[in-house]
Amino acid sequence: MNCEQSLNTQSYLDGELQGGDASAAEKHLESCADCQAQAAATADLSDALRNVPRYRTPDMLRHRLTKQLDRESRPSSAKSFWIGAASGGGLSALAAGFALFLLLPPSAATLSGSLADAHAAALTGGKTIMVASSNHHTVKPWLAAHAGISPPVSDFAEQGFVLTGGRTDEVAGTRAAVAVYAHGNHEMDLFAWPDRGAPMPQAGMARGFRMAFWKAGDLNYAAVSDVDAAAFQKFVSLAKAQRE
Amino acid sequence: MDDRRRRFEAQALPHLDAAYNLARWLSRSPTDADDIVQDAMLRAFRAFDGFRGGDAKAWLLTIVRNCWLTAGKATRRRGHTPLEDQELVAEGDPEGAAIQQGTRRRLDALVAGLPEEFREVLILREMEDMSYREIAEITGNPIGTVMSRLARARALLRETARDCL
Repeated sequence: MNCEQSLNTQSYLDGELQGGDASAAEKHLESCADCQAQAAATADLSDALRNVPRYRTPDMLRHRLTKQLDRESRPSSAKSFWIGAASGGGLSALAAGFALFLLLPPSAATLSGSLADAHAAALTGGKTIMVASSNHHTVKPWLAAHAGISPPVSDFAEQGFVLTGGRTDEVAGTRAAVAVYAHGNHEMDLFAWPDRGAPMPQAGMARGFRMAFWKAGDLNYAAVSDVDAAAFQKFVSLAKAQRE
Repeated sequence: MDDRRRRFEAQALPHLDAAYNLARWLSRSPTDADDIVQDAMLRAFRAFDGFRGGDAKAWLLTIVRNCWLTAGKATRRRGHTPLEDQELVAEGDPEGAAIQQGTRRRLDALVAGLPEEFREVLILREMEDMSYREIAEITGNPIGTVMSRLARARALLRETARDCL
């Protein structure tokens, strides 16, 4: 790593250079063995670090923080928000309602609405895929690194559902891993998020999308798509049956 | 709920996991990470009126790092506390989780061996995806220093990681 351009090469590899600077660095990289070695080694290291799951805030800490913010928000009130909630008194009950929303699992209606919104927003925003790959060995670790959970990811190309990639999304305030499949011109999203004990909604339609929900292990799953009923059922069976 | 609380929950709270992850890697102790994050979130909330838009994540991580520095002098002297795996994700995937645990332990030991000024730039860059400018802002260093520390951190880690990555 003796090349005097090595810091510049690093900036290029980290996506910090634009325009002419980027092309100059790229050109240098093409002819410099030192920088090529650096690029390869850095990429391996970077992959390894990004594949280590991030630590997640423990629920106890999240709970403590909410209570702490409640105290801060209403410093003059000596009543705890639990008492406020029980008394049903106007503002404090409203505040407690918001606080509880962060702690309690979402309701079934919130869940299906939130999933339909997420699916529709991804479709209309053209942002259905953050990592494009038909290889589950690529999609699975990407989801583990970015969503903090590692649901099984399989390609069902032989059955007509082609894995096209993955993304992270929000489901009722919780980070979800989404594996994205194509069936003809239709897109299927397979959401997974940590189980917080929420009741799973009935399968059905919401805002024009078919939806099915289930739990497996410590994860909640939902399939969302606008394909026809038969294809949707087939996809759900495949998704439910997949193993590590 | 007052307006400040609502804005705080919309803008700062989504970065709570990033705050916790950074505190955990910097302090290397679940107990210390809890205390640091709790302290940081309280300070952030109290100072939130002074936050005028911009990058809430970088702003929050700056506070986390400051809290770690303030809290750190005493606790860091205790030396290395092994990380525990209780919050390791992917619980429904025993095989994958075992691999991840093994990798985490090895990487943890290697990253732990880095001097603090190298460790923090590496975590911010590789795990939190922060830009050089943001890392400079969070750590209070010029961008040139961030670049050279990042290069040094990677070189050090590559040397020690050769056998196990």
